[in-house]
Amino acid sequence: MSGAECESDMDCSGSDCGDAGYEDYYSTQPWDGEIDNDINFDKQKQDPEYAVYECLRVDEVERLLNENVEFLTTNLQITPSLAKLFLHAHEWDLQDILLKYQDNTSNIMIDSKIILSHSVDPLFNMKFLKGNLCSVCFLTFPTERFSTLNCGHSFCNDCWCAYFETQILQGVSTGIRCMANSCSILAPEDFVLSLLIKPIMRERYQQFVFRDYVKSHPQLRFCPGPNCQIVIRSKELRSKRVICSICKTVFCFRCGMDYHAPTDCDTIKKWLTKCADDSETANYISAHTKDCPKCHICIEKNGGCNHMQCYNCKHDFCWMCLGDWKTHGSEYYECSRYKENPNIAHESVHAQAREALKKYLHYYERWENHSKSLKLEEQTLEEIKLRIQKKVMNASGTWIDWQHLFEAASLLARCRYTLQYTYPYAYYMEAGPRKELFEYQQAQLEAEIENLSWKIERAETTDRGDLENQMDIAEKRRITLLKDFLEV
Amino acid sequence: MAALPRRIIKETQRLMQEPVPGISAVPDDTNARYFHVIVTGPEDSPFEGGLFKLELFLPEDYPMSAPKVRFITKIYHPNIDRLGRICLDILKDKWSPALQIRTVLLSIQALLSAPNPDDPLANDVAELWKVNESEAIRNAKEWTRRYAMDN
Repeated sequence: MSGAECESDMDCSGSDCGDAGYEDYYSTQPWDGEIDNDINFDKQKQDPEYAVYECLRVDEVERLLNENVEFLTTNLQITPSLAKLFLHAHEWDLQDILLKYQDNTSNIMIDSKIILSHSVDPLFNMKFLKGNLCSVCFLTFPTERFSTLNCGHSFCNDCWCAYFETQILQGVSTGIRCMANSCSILAPEDFVLSLLIKPIMRERYQQFVFRDYVKSHPQLRFCPGPNCQIVIRSKELRSKRVICSICKTVFCFRCGMDYHAPTDCDTIKKWLTKCADDSETANYISAHTKDCPKCHICIEKNGGCNHMQCYNCKHDFCWMCLGDWKTHGSEYYECSRYKENPNIAHESVHAQAREALKKYLHYYERWENHSKSLKLEEQTLEEIKLRIQKKVMNASGTWIDWQHLFEAASLLARCRYTLQYTYPYAYYMEAGPRKELFEYQQAQLEAEIENLSWKIERAETTDRGDLENQMDIAEKRRITLLKDFLEV
Repeated sequence: MAALPRRIIKETQRLMQEPVPGISAVPDDTNARYFHVIVTGPEDSPFEGGLFKLELFLPEDYPMSAPKVRFITKIYHPNIDRLGRICLDILKDKWSPALQIRTVLLSIQALLSAPNPDDPLANDVAELWKVNESEAIRNAKEWTRRYAMDN
């Protein structure tokens, strides 16, 4: 099963923009099986988030892996088990294996832990096998009840079986080694299966082997969705946004975490670890209420938009910095920017620590706030649905007339998601002209997003053309920022 | 309780008949899988002259799984923590069913002769062992004298 065959959802211009619902933003993916590299390159230039991948079921992945195995068995005249050991040890790189095999067969056998580079200590088997004594259970058996790996270490079949069961219960499968002390030879699949008796153990072994194969394959990733069986395949290992066609989980193909553009995989990991470590310090921020900066009435934020208007005194202000909203629309919008203390190097250690915390909290507050806004805007979407229903019932327009509100909401979610992930990026950026440019673009994006959110929440009083214009501006800001700063 | 596997019976017999020099391992009267172990501190190590008590337990799936071993006597060593737990590869991922109680105890004795502060379990001890080895060795001798020499 391949991903949905639909147009890139980024091909937005004017009123065509955001032709998908909120859910669909992450689910519609441009997929084209054998797309030309040129076309690929073109789309990449237009849309920095463009990704090519497919969603595979378990049986499709098995077929794909088996094709590789068959290729090696026919080309090298080896058993499937041996082919699998080569493939697993060489990240499924067929060309690499062929070259190495032709170049020096025994070297690749040693590297893949199939044979030893030296012959086995002759004393080992002489000591025990003379009396048909198994050195693990100390029992004697007829010779045919013993099995031996390529290394020459021989043990009784019962011990091999018990050993495999213990290993499998610990989650080991492709990594099962010979039982002899410090012998690194791996037990091939056919060897394990010839000695494992219990059907449940055989089944579990095969499941674990499959899991290991997918994990060792650079083009394959398990969908991280709960209980999801889908495997995503992409030919390039990049931090691209992928969406599981079954459970709809969105994640970064490279690291498997939530998608995080424009921040890269290492940085987002660092950031999330930091946030988890510092959660106690940052906890106080999670309060949902603030006082109006003008009339000091207590306000609970129940929408995603950060452009607040006090219901009491009608003062317009920014929820983040509590500054007057009037200064936010302009070029001098500086709410997103953190102003570092230029003399910090000369301050005391204590002051520097306080400054470091202040800086972190600045970015954390904004990161957390946009994450909350995203959730609140999901509620707004529900309200929009009700509002549309009411309008249709009152015969003020048809269902189709109001569809653009859904498009606006999905575009808003996409923009705010990117905005949220600009904060960890900015936190780890070094001061300089590039950071200034980034923060300028971030501020512009933020301003347009809040404008859009404001307009969507009040959709009855704004006209459609105005809203669509705002959608276009916000998406253009987002794409501009990604084009300049997203490195995949 | 299931009958004791031949392997454990044989190993126990051999431990009693041909004991390893410097090591004694005696099974408990009530549990043949639980051993009372005494290891003497190796010569030319800061643990020389000490008698270190350990406990060793053979789990149900021994020898497919490694024995569980722990120091009972307090010891100042970078690979042994305050609870007596030991950081030794053959007790973890490098375990092989072909290893035996005697080989495990020999490896532990060897660990006393050659501490490995680059793979630490007790971080503060390992740190001192790296930055000021002579002080660490003084501490180890002091602990040996205080905890491992009074019977």
